[in-house]
Amino acid sequence: MVFTQLLINGLIVGAIYALVASGFSLIYSTCKFIHFAHGATIAFSAYVLYFLFSILNLNFGFAVILSIIFASLLGYGMNIFVYKRLRKRKASNVILLLSSFALLILLESLILILFGADVKTIGYINVAKGLEFFGAIITPLQIFIILISFILLIGLFLFMKKTKMGKAIKAVSDNKNVAEIVGISSEKIYTWSFIIGSAIAGIAAILISLEQNLAPTMGTNLMIKGFTAAIIGGIGSIPGAILGAYLLGFAENFGIWFLPSGYKEAIAFIILFIFLLFKSRGILGIKKRGEKE
Amino acid sequence: MIEEYFIHLLILIGIYLILAISLQLSIGFTGLLNLGHIAFFAVGAYTSALLTLNGFPFCIGLLLAGLIAMLFGFLLSWPTKKLKGDYLALATLAFSFVIYALALNWIGLTRGPLGLPGIPKPSLFGFVFSSNFSFLILTVIIALISYVVIKKTVSSPFGKVLEAVRDDELAAKVLGKNTFKMKTYALGISAFFAGIAGSLYAHYITFIDPSSFTLLQLIPILTIVIIGGLASLRGTLIATVIIILLPEPLRFIGFSSSIIGPARQIIYALLLLLILIYRPKGFFGRVNLK
Repeated sequence: MVFTQLLINGLIVGAIYALVASGFSLIYSTCKFIHFAHGATIAFSAYVLYFLFSILNLNFGFAVILSIIFASLLGYGMNIFVYKRLRKRKASNVILLLSSFALLILLESLILILFGADVKTIGYINVAKGLEFFGAIITPLQIFIILISFILLIGLFLFMKKTKMGKAIKAVSDNKNVAEIVGISSEKIYTWSFIIGSAIAGIAAILISLEQNLAPTMGTNLMIKGFTAAIIGGIGSIPGAILGAYLLGFAENFGIWFLPSGYKEAIAFIILFIFLLFKSRGILGIKKRGEKE
Repeated sequence: MIEEYFIHLLILIGIYLILAISLQLSIGFTGLLNLGHIAFFAVGAYTSALLTLNGFPFCIGLLLAGLIAMLFGFLLSWPTKKLKGDYLALATLAFSFVIYALALNWIGLTRGPLGLPGIPKPSLFGFVFSSNFSFLILTVIIALISYVVIKKTVSSPFGKVLEAVRDDELAAKVLGKNTFKMKTYALGISAFFAGIAGSLYAHYITFIDPSSFTLLQLIPILTIVIIGGLASLRGTLIATVIIILLPEPLRFIGFSSSIIGPARQIIYALLLLLILIYRPKGFFGRVNLK
């Protein structure tokens, strides 16, 4: 049952990509620039979890909470110390993009210095025997990942729809000037979208580190998947990012039916390239501010 | 020993200078935020290495390295001709990842992660540039030619059209300029020199593998271009020297080599951040990054 196995594998990576992409998309929707360093937030939080749990031997739940808080603070710090200053100088989104790229490399290099280049394993959950599911194998951990991702994404959806903060975020992402006229502080919304987006990144980091080994460059790889998913679905749209993430997860896993498995990574770039060229607004995309038809 | 070290640094400066001025041509002079420059460097390095390993002379390898990189430049510019700003940055970045994935996975051609060892030292008219000093002379000559050609290009009428495309593409179109064609040429020339730099790099180090062509390698070049200042060749030259020499003292403090690599990246990344925050035009820049 190769088909069901690939379907399930697609679902698992899709769940992880969805978390990466939705946080990234939330930040893009309000701040309107590509926050590459989002990937570094994930990598750094995963290493913080490793440090707290595997080196300091803290209680796992406690370590998880601290890692998520760390992710939020990291996102918050990047916004306050770098992006806010740039916005004050009315920097273009290209400058913001370059600085986020610099932040990504900065944080990745910092991980290398602090933890070394060798692969780390958290190993909280022993690999359990997989369950048979229509002829495919899935471990309880993987079911857990899919469920957590699903619950979080529904939570994020409700947050955006029902809460005042969610509506304010939507307002700023639709039209910053009008939002400011009705008394919403856009700087405050930027800050919150970084805090919330980075917290989701922190959760993604934990799920990833339960399932895979940690490597300093994991952030770059995840970031590419995250923004590819966001662009497939329509950049700046959170439901779009989630849809794009699952599509990418399936495309990667079904793609290796036709291609040598080494090209699995390249599938994302090719899809990204095709979407940028032919449908740069993605499937559910919103218009970029100031963009003409 | 110390002379060898200085010669090594000068050769690196020469190779990086070619890379940086060619990137300057696309980012600074034409306004194309190309984050895929490393891909052209890689194409040049692999082309030249594979040709010379299969018995072709160095001059053919060097020339084809430039021309095939240029071909890739044309290939990239055709589909991305309508993209601007961050979308162009993403598309060119994706392009460089595709090239990296090819280098890593097309084992039959590139030997994948094993890389290509034993790339011969360059030879011209029977003279082999086997010592580092002779290689330095070769690098200086090629860097000088590249500098002059790019200088001539940007100060020619064609160069002025490129700057017009950067500043106001619509106005350039109104004046009857075929802006897509101009951008294609600019990217092609830029890629050509990146390919030449790739060839020099491959023959200098004599070993290449895909890990020589990742995002990490883009950071110093990008930092040079931004710090030197957009659309300033003189600034790029000065910045190349400073950026390559700056992390060198780390070697003498006695850090282990596993620390020096990332520390160097941290220095570059911090510099890039600081310059973007406090002086986004760079030191000799004439225009702002849009």
